[in-house]
Amino acid sequence: MSQPKKVFSRRRVCRFCTDKEVVIDYKDAKTLKNFVTERGKIIPRRIYGTCAKHQRQLNEAVKRARQLALLPYMGNTQF
Amino acid sequence: MRHYETTFILRPNLGEEQFTEIIDRTSAIVANDGGAIICLDRWGIKRLAYEINREAQGYYVYMNYAAPGKTVDEIERIFRIDDRVIRYLTVKLGDSMNAEAIEAEKQRIEEKAAARAKAQSDETEGDEFEGEALEDETAEE
Repeated sequence: MSQPKKVFSRRRVCRFCTDKEVVIDYKDAKTLKNFVTERGKIIPRRIYGTCAKHQRQLNEAVKRARQLALLPYMGNTQF
Repeated sequence: MRHYETTFILRPNLGEEQFTEIIDRTSAIVANDGGAIICLDRWGIKRLAYEINREAQGYYVYMNYAAPGKTVDEIERIFRIDDRVIRYLTVKLGDSMNAEAIEAEKQRIEEKAAARAKAQSDETEGDEFEGEALEDETAEE
């Protein structure tokens, strides 16, 4: 029974708060790719533990990147 | 004056002359309204994540400039008319911009570019290795 508990006790620290050097930028598709699924959906913050402020910025950045065809609206992100 | 950045995508098959023409025309609009271009970056031809107007590739141009709001209206109006421009996005970065801030921004971008160039040169060394590995894989296939 202890195993599922372990799964949920992953580190829940926002990686933008811990690492100040990582800036959320809609032009930087390479970094943003880490925060969308293979199909191009934005990964919810309950998975990565991103704080509300940074998740909001991330959300905005991914949507802008999609408009510029840097990220897909849907479909494979590996191209 | 306000601080904006605009990225636009041109059709890839226009040729260097027309790219330059469109970029010059856009920067002329900024200059006419008393604005200043801080950074103009041609990202070049990149693959699009999805097709736009049946184009699979696009020529990306990034502009960072200080200008009054009506300049953006004018630039976007022209982009909308011109069907060689397949996509554009303007983002406001700051509300007020003076000569001092423009200089500071120029410097910041230069530093960033230098840092990126350095990172890239480091990366290419790594990439060569990766490239070799990839070649091996294809050879096996």
